[in-house]
Amino acid sequence: MTWPLGEVALIAALSLKVALTATAVACALGIPLGFWLGGTKFAGRRGLLLVLNTALAFPTVVVGLLVYLLLSRHGPLGGLGLLFTWQAIVIAEVILALPIAAALTAAAVQAVDPRVRRTALTLGAGPLRTAWAVAREARFAIAAAVVVSFGRVLSEVGAAIIVGGNIRHQTRTLTTAVTLATSQGNFELAEALGLVLLALALTVNVLIQLFQGRGDA
Amino acid sequence: MLELQGVRHAYGGRAVLDVDALAIGRDERLAVVGPNGSGKSTLLRLLAFLEAPTAGTVRLDGEAVRSDRARRAARRRVTLVEQRPYLFRGTVRENVAFGLRARGAPAAEAARRADEALAELKARSLSGRDARALSEGEIQRVALARALAMEPAALLLDEPVSGADRAAQHALAAALAEVQARRPLAVVVVSHLLENAYRWADRLLALHEGRPSAVSPENLFRVDLQGGAPMQRVSLGPVAVEVVTDKGGPATLAIPPDEIVLSTEPLHSSARNVIHGRIVRVAEHGAAVRVTIDAGVELVALITRKSFEEMGLAVGGSAYASFKSVAVRVF
Repeated sequence: MTWPLGEVALIAALSLKVALTATAVACALGIPLGFWLGGTKFAGRRGLLLVLNTALAFPTVVVGLLVYLLLSRHGPLGGLGLLFTWQAIVIAEVILALPIAAALTAAAVQAVDPRVRRTALTLGAGPLRTAWAVAREARFAIAAAVVVSFGRVLSEVGAAIIVGGNIRHQTRTLTTAVTLATSQGNFELAEALGLVLLALALTVNVLIQLFQGRGDA
Repeated sequence: MLELQGVRHAYGGRAVLDVDALAIGRDERLAVVGPNGSGKSTLLRLLAFLEAPTAGTVRLDGEAVRSDRARRAARRRVTLVEQRPYLFRGTVRENVAFGLRARGAPAAEAARRADEALAELKARSLSGRDARALSEGEIQRVALARALAMEPAALLLDEPVSGADRAAQHALAAALAEVQARRPLAVVVVSHLLENAYRWADRLLALHEGRPSAVSPENLFRVDLQGGAPMQRVSLGPVAVEVVTDKGGPATLAIPPDEIVLSTEPLHSSARNVIHGRIVRVAEHGAAVRVTIDAGVELVALITRKSFEEMGLAVGGSAYASFKSVAVRVF
């Protein structure tokens, strides 16, 4: 059995929407957090970095379960009615991708030559311009943080099934669709969906690389 | 315009700088000399307001700079060029414009002033180049242009001529002279080479283990030490002196003028070095007299006017200069 092209397109579009939204949110929060952790010295910083690095290995099903419990009708955020919506998947994916964005950014910032910050400061730059100068020097490593976060989110399946429920036309993403097709023994369809997923990942990464290349010129 | 008062600085509990008082005038050139680890770079970072001293006060134009906010404001008037300056990714022009942009200059104006600053350092042709593709001397020049473009009140240079070629050294010195002729600019130069410091500056501060030590620009000798023994006999042209150091290789000897005792007869004392010569110059400095003796090399001794008169010293007369081996400083 094959699925109509329109249905596959719908699933791919939802996957992309979920992955891009979750990556954007995770990076919007994680990159500044990484900057702060990588560039500021304070008591407890090492502990926080340890927590962050541990969070990199969060099992996706555990995060899915956690978000499920939060959003389920009797959970603390049950009133929002988000369980089994694409937004619920985004929430779970943000929790998974944020530590990646933050930890890789922190490592990138720590690897920047300490002279960058000193030079920016001694040239009279304020905190924001100094951070910007550091970000510019670390931009390839920070771009890598974005790419890896996106990869994690796009390929994730455990949390997406638990909090999204794999509902046709609503929360069925490429990965959950592959799971379904495989469990139904429809391997041809599963393979085809897998290829669509790979193509999506390739397209987004090519776009990021093109963007990086332009910035380097 | 820059002052340190009772400044102590420590890293992780280890004291690295201890300066009771230091004042730098608004168009003065001060050279800070001393061996590696003597606190020179720490002093520059404090003067550049990049760090706050562990204790004591740094003042800018008489105002104590204590808070982060005050330091940020002070950094707009004092700038540091590091020993190995860092150029940001981008063009040379973008680098030189950085400080101007940080001060709110519009892009076009910043670019124009950046090009002017580069022209002053005879580096206008570098303007469009990738900052990552420059030679060491060019980097040094661009970094100096970047600092001068902001018209700072004080410029701090960490080892400005190390690694720079001769042309770059001349461009550096000429550009500083030109700026100072136009407007007041305090310059503090750090160097581990006394000769460089002497060439650049009109006042010398020697640091030793974080504290100022008495060395003046006189009586400096470039020598090659044999090493290997705690007490070495070193030749200074036609005369030889004994010094206490176990260093080997090229070094600079400094004999502080106030450590030299003058006499009309050879002294029998613990001083291991007694050099005979003829008095060639005498200059008065208030209650002190600076006496220059030619013994094949010139030695300057600082003695009181009273001693000078009591001994009846005069230009053309003979004198013995005596100083202890431990008084000779080795850099």
